[in-house]
Amino acid sequence: MRRMTLWRALLAGLVMALVLAGCGGDVAEEGGTPDEADDGGSENGGDGEAAGSITGAGATFPAPLYNEMFSTFAEEEQGIQVNYQSVGSGSGIEQYINNTVEFGGTDAPMTDEELEEVDVETLHVATVGGPVVPTYNLEGVDELNLTHEVVADIFLGNITEWSDEAIAETNPDADLPDEQIQVVHRSDGSGTTFIWVEWLSAVSEEWADSVGSGTDVSWPTGSGGDGNEGVAAQVQQTPGAIGYNELSYAEENDIPHAFLAPDADSEFVQGSLESAETAIEAAEVPEDLRVSVSALNVTDDGAYPVTGLTWLLIRQEMDDLAACRATAEAAWYATHDGQEFAPPNYVPIGGQTLETSEEFIQSMEAEGEACYEG
Amino acid sequence: MSQEGGKAGPQRAGGTSSVTAQTMEVQNLSAYYNKFKAVTDVSMKIEPNKVTALIGPSGCGKSTFIRTLNRMHEIARGGRIEGKVLLDGEDIYDDRVDPVQVRRKIGMVFQKPNPFPTMSVYDNVVAGLKLERRHKKSELDEVVEKMLRQAALWDEVKDKLSANGTDLSGGQQQRLCIARTLALEPQVILLDEPASALDPMSSQKIEDAMQELKERYTIVIVTHNMQQASRSSDYTGFFFIEDMGQPGQLWEFGETSKMFSNPERQETEDYVTGRFG
Amino acid sequence: MFSILSALAQRIDLLKQVRRGNTGDVIYKVLAYLFGLALLGIVVAIIWELWVQSAFARQEFGISFLWSTSFDPVQAQFGALQFIQGTLVTAVVAVSLAAPLGIGIAAFLVEIAPRRVNAVVGFLVEMLAAIPSVVYGLWGIFVLAPFLRDYVAPWLTATLGWTPMFSGSFSGYSVFTASLVLTIMILPTAAAITRNVLQAVPKEQREGMLALGATRWEMFSQAVLPYAKGGVIGAMALALGRAAGETMAVTIIIGNARRIFTSMFEQGATIASVIAGNFTDADSGAYVSSLFLLGLILFAMTFTINVLARLLIKATSSGPTG
Repeated sequence: MRRMTLWRALLAGLVMALVLAGCGGDVAEEGGTPDEADDGGSENGGDGEAAGSITGAGATFPAPLYNEMFSTFAEEEQGIQVNYQSVGSGSGIEQYINNTVEFGGTDAPMTDEELEEVDVETLHVATVGGPVVPTYNLEGVDELNLTHEVVADIFLGNITEWSDEAIAETNPDADLPDEQIQVVHRSDGSGTTFIWVEWLSAVSEEWADSVGSGTDVSWPTGSGGDGNEGVAAQVQQTPGAIGYNELSYAEENDIPHAFLAPDADSEFVQGSLESAETAIEAAEVPEDLRVSVSALNVTDDGAYPVTGLTWLLIRQEMDDLAACRATAEAAWYATHDGQEFAPPNYVPIGGQTLETSEEFIQSMEAEGEACYEG
Repeated sequence: MSQEGGKAGPQRAGGTSSVTAQTMEVQNLSAYYNKFKAVTDVSMKIEPNKVTALIGPSGCGKSTFIRTLNRMHEIARGGRIEGKVLLDGEDIYDDRVDPVQVRRKIGMVFQKPNPFPTMSVYDNVVAGLKLERRHKKSELDEVVEKMLRQAALWDEVKDKLSANGTDLSGGQQQRLCIARTLALEPQVILLDEPASALDPMSSQKIEDAMQELKERYTIVIVTHNMQQASRSSDYTGFFFIEDMGQPGQLWEFGETSKMFSNPERQETEDYVTGRFG
Repeated sequence: MFSILSALAQRIDLLKQVRRGNTGDVIYKVLAYLFGLALLGIVVAIIWELWVQSAFARQEFGISFLWSTSFDPVQAQFGALQFIQGTLVTAVVAVSLAAPLGIGIAAFLVEIAPRRVNAVVGFLVEMLAAIPSVVYGLWGIFVLAPFLRDYVAPWLTATLGWTPMFSGSFSGYSVFTASLVLTIMILPTAAAITRNVLQAVPKEQREGMLALGATRWEMFSQAVLPYAKGGVIGAMALALGRAAGETMAVTIIIGNARRIFTSMFEQGATIASVIAGNFTDADSGAYVSSLFLLGLILFAMTFTINVLARLLIKATSSGPTG
């Protein structure tokens, strides 16, 4: 009897499956356009005035800064409301591509393939930067000096003991334990990882060849933590650990982080707002700004090389003039007056990076008109 | 204690019927559930190689009483007794006595057939012996056949010894439970309304089996069936409860022939003649 | 064929009832059917979605996805073997530890503990199941991992360090820690269901065995446990399913290393943990599709576990039917 009911249910399930099969495809294709209702920008205005409200979505790293600077912006500038949703770089790029937001936010530049999905030119407007620092857990070692090559070798799994000669050479005074090195990395895809591995690729040919760069890579060694807090927790909980964190995260949690130098004879530089700002100002960025400063491995005096940028993703040519003007205003504010909100957690941009960003904003247009009015 | 049982087992299983039925004597026994007194002040002598039937209306403590005879009563929550139960002159409630050993010497068959469902017919019969864990396969084979024959079940199940115990009919299951109890070669067998859940035919078969068994064992049976009691028992105890909430008592006890023809007390007569109960 | 006929018969029966005016019965029946179908529909919909979304990965990597261990987002090469290993090892270790513990707890509660203790401890055990898994994860990091590192791991290294299973150094974040956290997480499931199953064993079974001169332990092992075997296996299958599907706590504690591990002290990853940890920021179609394919594999694994458990129950218990 029980078996019979089961069969009956199965039969019904099959019918149901067929019905679902009929509409399943549509569901799948329609997915990926969430929050369209929130996007009020295009409907408002249209008279050439800056629109009342625009929406952006993306990276979580600069979200606190954006919220703070855009709320001040709304008060100061004709009340343009900028609504930034902190959904992560990946989703930010996706929403930007789908044109459901006026701008995206990302910690890692868009890939060539992603750019091809957008019918107009995409501008990477850099807003702020942030250093990523090698955090470690070594009892009694307050200052740790590592050459770029050593860091790469540790993360490649070539150096596995803290007592390794290569480490001892640059730390003659430190009491290095006879312990295994426990490498900790991010287990999720992240802009922090991108900044870190862009730099590793720049300083180590072996890394560039065998691992490469991206927001998530195939780690040769170590364990993964979920999010900045996950890495921080693992580093703090594991004697002999070394990981990488955003500077602000390391400082808030009081985790020591290492000094870096290209070789043993150079000056060792620790990640800080100043050293990162020095790096950004000295960086010779490419025209499209699609590069992490860390990839350039800036080794000028006092510059901390492992520094990343965070970008606004903006269409060079937008459909709606009002929305375009509001976006341009907001972007200009973010790269200029808004910079005052950057410290202590973010590094203000400058140098070539700022100049390029300005050019980008000035190039924006909609309905045949330039959007930025100066 | 269990070693003793282990030693005894194979000897008994291997030998011919060397069982000795034993006399039981109950002295001033009262049974309780926590503070509630279910049976009060029962004294009786249970003769060897005889069938002693316990009758009486429902709820008068027969089942509770029979369960005190092999220390099954104390398994129930709050179950305890006062008084003595002597088996061959020794108090089974003595502090030095292991209830586990008591239950091996005094077997019990329950109202509802309860063969072990995960065991075969064969394994059901030797379940008790296997607890002692010292038996050769050939010995066990012998015991199984012998016990099933004694329980009048052999002919019906000899071809399906490996079948599941619960695949048998209700009557067969009950006789299987009897065989299981016999396998331990107890001195006394207690049957708590063994036929109440069975059809008349099965009930008759159990009655027949009982007549054969009393040649080897002392038998105590609780029953609601007056005819069964009068036909197959030698002694009868009538349990009675005066009022709701009162404990059950042994109202009258004597030879079955006298109890059914010329009882001493009015209530006994009323009950055996079917005027109430 | 038979089923169709009987379904048809049922339909006609339903119509008859309407004519007879038993509308309440009919409504009840229809509702019951609908709910039953809805459940089935959800399952089918999930499988369908996993199937469709994993199409890209299935085409790209083929069946070798199952035994490939590469997981390189940069090269867009993905495989499943290390995650299957992580899932199986942690879940199986957890269940093999939780099973005796759970049965022991249940046996204590049902067979030995006074009724009041049974109720209170039973309630506490079920409460354990209500603790959010992230709490287990954090407890794993801050309490269990240091404890294991200071006391258990050195001892294991000293005694079993020569086996590959416990070789290497123990950093706290490991397959071993994750397995133990899972053990504790599934213990309530194992214990609570086993307790209910044991409680359901009829009094007659216990008495029957006791009357044969069994000790309490013999009664439990020879009569109660065999009778309850099907239910206990079911409880363990459920626990195994829960262990295999756990994400949060495992993600926090297992170390998220997407590699095959040889020692329990190494870091690893499970299917559930890699999906949970990477789904939101997987940045390529192949990556997302591979995660869906992993999800499909996990689904198939838990499904297989349940079917195997059912077969095991059938095969081992000639036991209580109906």
